[in-house]
Amino acid sequence: MTQIVDAPQFEDTAVIIDKAVQVELSADGDPRAFVWDRFEHTVIGQPQAVFTRTRWWEHSGTPTRIDTELWRLDAAKGGEDQHRYDLRHDADGTWVLALDWG
Amino acid sequence: MSFPHLHVASAYSTHYGVTLPEALAGQAAADGATFLAVTDRNGLYGAVKHVRACVAAGIRPGLGADLEVHDGDTLAPLGRVVVLAHGGSAGEGGAGRGYAALCRAVSSAHETTVRVPGHPPSIPRSRLAELAGLNSLTVLLGPASDVGHAIERRDNPLARATLAEWQRIMPPQSLALEVVCHLTEPGMPGSVAPATRMLALAEYARLPAVLSNAVRYGTAEEAVTADLADAARHLMPLAQLAQPAQAQPPNTQTEARPLQVNGQAWLKPAAAMRQVARMVVDAGQHSDGALARLLRDTHDLAERCALDPVGDIGLGRPRMPEASVIGVTRDPLAELWARARHGIDERYADAGRRGLTAAHDRLAHEMATVESLGFASYFLTVATVADLVRDMGIRIQARGSGVGSVLNYALHTSSVEPIGNGLLWERFLSPERQTLPDIDLDVESARRHDIYRKVFETFGASRVSLMSMTNAYRGRGAVRDAGLALGMPDAQVATIAKQMWRFNARDFRAALAEKPELEELAAEVRESSQLDLLVDLTARLDRLPRHISVHPCGVILSDASLLDRTPVQASGMGLPMSQFDKHDMDPMGLIKLDILGVRMQSAMAHAVEEHHRLTGEHIDLDRVPLDDPATFELIRSTRTLGIFQIESPGQMELVGKLQPEVFNDLTVEISLFRPGPMKNNIPLRYLEARHGEVAPDYIHPRFEPILRETNGVVIFHEQVMRLFDELTGCGLGHADVLRRHLGRPEQLSVIEAYVRENALGRGFDAGTIDRVWTVLAGFGSFGFAKAHGAAFALPTYQSAWLKTHHPAAFLAGLLTHDPGMWPKDLLVAEARVLGVPVLGLDVQHSALDYRVESVGEGQGIRMPLPELSGSSDAERARIVRHQPFTSLQDFRDRVHPRRRTFEALARVGALDSFIDHDRTRRHELLAHIQSLRGTAITIADDQLAFEVPLPVLDYEGARFDTVTSLQLRGRTQSDLELLDTGLAVAGHRMRKYYPLFAELGVTPAAQLATLPGGTDVLLAGVRRATNTPPMRDGRRVVFVSLDDGTGPVANVVFFHDAQERIGGGVFQTELMLVRGRTRRSGARGVSVTGEGMWDLVTVARDRARAQAKALKAARAAALDAEPSVAEATAAAAARPPMRRAAGSGTTEFDLWSTQSA
Repeated sequence: MTQIVDAPQFEDTAVIIDKAVQVELSADGDPRAFVWDRFEHTVIGQPQAVFTRTRWWEHSGTPTRIDTELWRLDAAKGGEDQHRYDLRHDADGTWVLALDWG
Repeated sequence: MSFPHLHVASAYSTHYGVTLPEALAGQAAADGATFLAVTDRNGLYGAVKHVRACVAAGIRPGLGADLEVHDGDTLAPLGRVVVLAHGGSAGEGGAGRGYAALCRAVSSAHETTVRVPGHPPSIPRSRLAELAGLNSLTVLLGPASDVGHAIERRDNPLARATLAEWQRIMPPQSLALEVVCHLTEPGMPGSVAPATRMLALAEYARLPAVLSNAVRYGTAEEAVTADLADAARHLMPLAQLAQPAQAQPPNTQTEARPLQVNGQAWLKPAAAMRQVARMVVDAGQHSDGALARLLRDTHDLAERCALDPVGDIGLGRPRMPEASVIGVTRDPLAELWARARHGIDERYADAGRRGLTAAHDRLAHEMATVESLGFASYFLTVATVADLVRDMGIRIQARGSGVGSVLNYALHTSSVEPIGNGLLWERFLSPERQTLPDIDLDVESARRHDIYRKVFETFGASRVSLMSMTNAYRGRGAVRDAGLALGMPDAQVATIAKQMWRFNARDFRAALAEKPELEELAAEVRESSQLDLLVDLTARLDRLPRHISVHPCGVILSDASLLDRTPVQASGMGLPMSQFDKHDMDPMGLIKLDILGVRMQSAMAHAVEEHHRLTGEHIDLDRVPLDDPATFELIRSTRTLGIFQIESPGQMELVGKLQPEVFNDLTVEISLFRPGPMKNNIPLRYLEARHGEVAPDYIHPRFEPILRETNGVVIFHEQVMRLFDELTGCGLGHADVLRRHLGRPEQLSVIEAYVRENALGRGFDAGTIDRVWTVLAGFGSFGFAKAHGAAFALPTYQSAWLKTHHPAAFLAGLLTHDPGMWPKDLLVAEARVLGVPVLGLDVQHSALDYRVESVGEGQGIRMPLPELSGSSDAERARIVRHQPFTSLQDFRDRVHPRRRTFEALARVGALDSFIDHDRTRRHELLAHIQSLRGTAITIADDQLAFEVPLPVLDYEGARFDTVTSLQLRGRTQSDLELLDTGLAVAGHRMRKYYPLFAELGVTPAAQLATLPGGTDVLLAGVRRATNTPPMRDGRRVVFVSLDDGTGPVANVVFFHDAQERIGGGVFQTELMLVRGRTRRSGARGVSVTGEGMWDLVTVARDRARAQAKALKAARAAALDAEPSVAEATAAAAARPPMRRAAGSGTTEFDLWSTQSA
């Protein structure tokens, strides 16, 4: 089970990645795996989505969304230790691996 | 698997929800849902629209309300809950019980606003418990409830305690916990943590938990619009709302958060909701199967709350007041028959045997429809209301298609005789019509609220309610609220708002691109990203419901089940108002009666009353013969100012051309003067045929009986119906259906095929069919029901009759109730022309409304006290109570006027009776009043006091003859009146310009009619009205009505080229001098085509200066000459330089010189 409320404790070790990645979704629409650096990372457990509001009125153009979609999930590549990642899902449909919490 | 949304605010939750019910239902159905609830905030505002949308979308509707709850004893708030109605199929709950309980719950919440002034709508929990009995309601306790607040604060013991309290008070099985998760950031409301704790609480308390999304909009994209709604609700820019707590408005426990945390409150599809459910369950420690249980409980509750539109809500089933309430003891149909037969015998007593038989035949025909549709109670109910109004001594007049019914005429619901006027029953009611009948009653506007109260009293508040109306965002409101949300400066937004007209806000961007007058704004928008955003946001708000208010005339009448079918809330006037609007009436089977206040009815009632007060004679306007020659003579003279419906410049012109001779001509005239016929050039074609310039074209002899009354021109709906019937034999009921479909282009070919096929079989040749079809298809739906025209023509005739025979009383009525388009100044001018003196304000005689007084042989009109600006109701009431006064001292002691009022009364001459009506002593009077200090000593009525003559003796004598008040000096009586009352009654304000007019050669308005067409004239006067009537070619034509005090207004028409030449002055100049050319319109009508225009004030000033200068120059030049020569030269210089040649206008200006003498 993911304890998302505890997330801030990882802050010291978070690594900014900010790379577009390929994400594979499950039949339910949850991210099941993503490919980063040619390696497939498999999601473990239930990923959690978080939507954060933007101050859209400060930008030009009418937004289609007023929030940004972020998925916090645990994933592992091959038999390695699992890491916690933040995956951002942009309005244009691209997925960006934002942070590696370690 | 589908997901049933149980908590959804529609756009009818104003300033909260932003998606219309139709869109929500369509979206749910498209996602495969079989159920959708709408739970608007504080009411069922969108309920009927939702149910109909669900029926259309093929899904089952649920209804509920998002309500605040409080403890009935302590008023302590308990947060907001969702109250859902159970359907009749849900076990032991009887059909309709759940919906009825919901209606009552909403009404109860609104009762609190009356019981505790200033309190928002909120239902006492004990009342909610009572209504939830018998398995009729489920109450959802979600994040906004007191339980939810405790959960949010992680106060589990409090959450359990507050829930236990709910469980103690509410009946079993009426509670469920509502799990809402908007996937916000951890620590914020709407995150998974409180949601999963809520789920755990349900498990602990062994209550069902249901998942909802607390929906505020259909799609994620509309979250922006919801942000705008939040800003509008809090009247605060978004940037400020988004600030941390200290800048936010007080966030009471029950108020929604000022700004949504994120944009996830949309109507998510089933898959997304299951995703949320998984995250919520995964985030906490729950027993096995928690996920499946949550979704199953949600489905189960939706199942219980699915309502049957007919069985539960009563959709489409009309309910009339019970027979006993309208004093009927037997079968309503038998009662109706009896009353109607009796009415026919009475109404047609003088119609002869054939007339009487025809009326009875028509009645039988109408009654057959009434019987088959089961509307007997309806007719009895409307007749009861009409009787009620009449018994109150209030004028009443039916309007609308119901006037076409002999049944309504027999019941005295309507006073227009339908058969002789060629009105058709089928235009009103037929088995083919799918809607409930609609009878409109026009009553005296001043008594409308009295009538409402009487109707409530008579039928009982359980059967009557006012109707509401939904006001939607339009351009200006939308741009203001969008600008507010963006925090733009008020002035900037106001400037833009001023330009938001003649196009829809949702077309704002297109309008910017197309409309030349918006070019400047468009350029600014291109430069500023904020303005660019504003354009989009404005378009988003357009058409969204903004607030509800009481409908100006709708009264709902029903049986005692009314409050089980509609929630009510207090209207501005205190009486209960349904939360449903006019579009909801028919589907809900609610009978709506339009009781519309018409000022002309009040004006006529006032005239009749004044006549009675003065002479003791009673005029029964409804029995005045409709063929009075003098009345028609007045109408034909086009002096129709003040007459109902035919007083506008355009109408004056049409009346002049048409020259009405009989009542039916008035019906025709009124029906012609409408946008549709005007655009299609119908008036001209009718006039040509009427005056014999062309032969009437009946197309076919069989159409002649139908078209004879309008000389072959199709004007009325009734004629179209009869043409259809004659052509196809379809019957008048179906003919009305065809007529209405004419307005839909896509139906035209279907109708045409039907007409051609049947008409050939009925002996019409193809050529005739071609011609008549061209007429019918061209008619479209624009015409006018003759029933409407005839219903309007009656007050038109009645007001014309009053103006002809009782001008003083009639004008007193007009001045008191102001029913028409013209300002009071012009009515006063009209009075003067009619020889009815308007008497100035006088504290001895003036009342609270315009009264008629005997003046010598004739009658005059006395100006009333409320015309004095700045005086208070209390002062006026005291004046009227204590009239007459023996002296100024007496007046002051008993009225205690404020100094301002006192001085104003003196200035306008209202106190002249205390100075022997010697105007020159007003200076003295005013000086005396101004010298008074302190408050008057109050002397009780029963105490003797000295009567001191005032102004007191001290002020008399030579010294005071020279007193001059600066407030009076140099001002005419008209000036003073205009200053203190805004209305000059002593003389016309143009009078001071008469010498100038004579000098310039201005034609008096009164003499215009004597001039031939094409005469060049100068006109002058004060602008009384500006009209831009609809024109055939679509180009704007401006009518300006000028009043020079000599007679009726002179109407000047400015065509497009003149408007361009003159510019803004056409709309802005108040006192004007116009050069133009006369244009004859028919035998009596004349107007002037304006070619040039000047500001009269400027002309007068320039002229005075030029003369002074010339005089000075002449004097200087003549200094050396003989004195007599000097004088002659000066006089010559002062003489008008541009006196026109005789014959160019009207001969000479005797009229001016006599009147200005």
